Amino acid sequence: MSFVFAACLALVVLFSAQTLRADETVLIDIYGPGQSKLNVALARPLASNGNLGGNATTVVVTDANATDTVVHVIAPADDDMSQVVPPEAGTLQKLISDNLSYLPFISLVPGAEILGGDSPGGYSSPHVDFRRFQLSGVDMLLTTGWPQPVDKGGYTVEIRAYEVFSGRLIIGKAYHDVTAKQLPDVADKFCGALMEELTGRGEFFRSTLAFVQRDKKGADKHIWTMHPMGRRLTQVTTLKGMSLSPVWSNDGRYILFTHLGSRYHSLGVWDRTTGEVHTVKYPGNTIIGPAFTPENKVAVSLASGGNPDIYLLNHSFRKEKVLVQNWAIDVSPSFDRQGRSMVFVSTRLGNPHIFLKDLETGAVRRVTYEGTYNTDPSISPDGELVVFSRLTRAGHRIFVHDLVTGKERQISFGPGNDEQPAFAPDGYFVAFSSNRSGKYRMYLTTRHGDSPRMLDTGEGEAFFPAWGLVPDGK
Amino acid sequence: MNMNAWLRVAIVLLFVVAMGVGAGCAKKKAVSTPDGAQGTSMEQEQGQGQGQGVAMTAESKMATAQALEQAKGVISRNKIYFDFDKFDLKPEARGALKAKAVLLKKYPNVRILIEGHCDDRGTEEYNLALGERRARAAYEFLVLLGVRASQLEMVSYGEEYPADPANNEAAWAKNRRDEFKLIP
Repeated sequence: MSFVFAACLALVVLFSAQTLRADETVLIDIYGPGQSKLNVALARPLASNGNLGGNATTVVVTDANATDTVVHVIAPADDDMSQVVPPEAGTLQKLISDNLSYLPFISLVPGAEILGGDSPGGYSSPHVDFRRFQLSGVDMLLTTGWPQPVDKGGYTVEIRAYEVFSGRLIIGKAYHDVTAKQLPDVADKFCGALMEELTGRGEFFRSTLAFVQRDKKGADKHIWTMHPMGRRLTQVTTLKGMSLSPVWSNDGRYILFTHLGSRYHSLGVWDRTTGEVHTVKYPGNTIIGPAFTPENKVAVSLASGGNPDIYLLNHSFRKEKVLVQNWAIDVSPSFDRQGRSMVFVSTRLGNPHIFLKDLETGAVRRVTYEGTYNTDPSISPDGELVVFSRLTRAGHRIFVHDLVTGKERQISFGPGNDEQPAFAPDGYFVAFSSNRSGKYRMYLTTRHGDSPRMLDTGEGEAFFPAWGLVPDGK
Repeated sequence: MNMNAWLRVAIVLLFVVAMGVGAGCAKKKAVSTPDGAQGTSMEQEQGQGQGQGVAMTAESKMATAQALEQAKGVISRNKIYFDFDKFDLKPEARGALKAKAVLLKKYPNVRILIEGHCDDRGTEEYNLALGERRARAAYEFLVLLGVRASQLEMVSYGEEYPADPANNEAAWAKNRRDEFKLIP
């Protein structure tokens, strides 16, 4: 594996000499086929950069939030630098480990599998002993340093990622005045920076998912938000009835959604800065699946003209113009990042199929030809792929359609129904809802169809994942 | 007055008499062929004394109210059903809507909400659109039958409120429906 990693590095050096500097650091092509896994080890956190060798010290760390007691063997150090890592070191170690486990191209190597133990000798080069990690098949080593003494404002944490074969520092970050409460932020920021360094995209760890959760009584559905890793789970709406189809504004300030009340549909608008919800009603009393354009305007299906057509609204949520209008059902618009293309569902040919509208020329073309029920399209930010749900004999499944080549590939395989796929801002991850466990939950896969991972959304059934980039992740 | 003048007077008198007889017949006919509960009460009132008339009015009001409640029951009770991913009205649905239309026209103050529903085999956003088409199909048929549009509202609930939560064909068939709710 080390060889693969080194080979990737060599290829990058050889072939990207003329490209931008940022591209030179991309080590993993998350968009290409046949990804290989990177073996990553997390070295024990250290309080100081010590000498190699000597006797180790065992420290038991108990974290108030963790279910397990974490045992750390502190590396030997110079007598005058010998310090014990704080309890927060174990917590941060676990947070980083959990975060990295979401990346399909990373395989975490347990500390017990490292020859001679997982002590790196020091947390920064040249004190790091890479040889044992190299012999254990590790490609990348993460070290965490907790320098002493501690400032009044909180800890200083230094986290580094090294390429084991060469000892090259891939990325190093220092975080100051860190408190226990801020540890998840530290883990997310570092993992986001690391993913960006490795792949060119780090939005995953900075994203906030909006989604729909059925309440405990089963009567209503509300909008919630959370980080993809399950943290900061927050209910943001309490309207009686069904709140569906949430979507983030591009600036991360608003969530729009469809609300079904006792007699009326309305367009719900939640403002993150105030926490307030406003609703807007439209003639025709049908409001389905809002979406934001790159200009932060809203496209939504309204039945004002006698059947659901797709309209563009202005910044005051008034109808500005018609985007798609004919006798058939037209719903579920989704836009690429440049605003060049919009995919949507239309029954103009009888059954629901995916169509694409070129927003520059106005031309509409059919995308799906297989099956008789293709819905829930989500276009990748680069406008090259569409993920959608197709009704098969075994239930709904997620497919990826390549808009460039026209090829299609199934990326989810049930059981049950897999629905509502949504491309993440990085165009790599895909979240979707599925009742494969008996109840609807949200899952995470990738454009390549990596093994789905269930997201921790709490007790109620969860639907309609929608990605957003919220400033500071709050 | 000459002979012609007397002839003209006679013709006019004959015409007046004929008109009087015709008017009397029309009035009698209106009273003797009541259409519904109101006509019946009018006939009874004309044949009774003043005191008894008041008593019968209360009785007839009760009958009227009962008839209205029965009509509301017919209007709201009978659901109509659809095939999977379809919104065209089946013959039995048209029959049920015709019965509702008769009563809605008879009671123009009755207003109803037409709810379009779907089974959960489809996906939610598409089902909201399909539910709208199902509600609209009933709405437009009722309007064609002469029901005033102001008596009708419609809403789609997609697959959110199944009549039967089971996961089989019998349940799905019950869930692909229009419901008719009285608007207070």
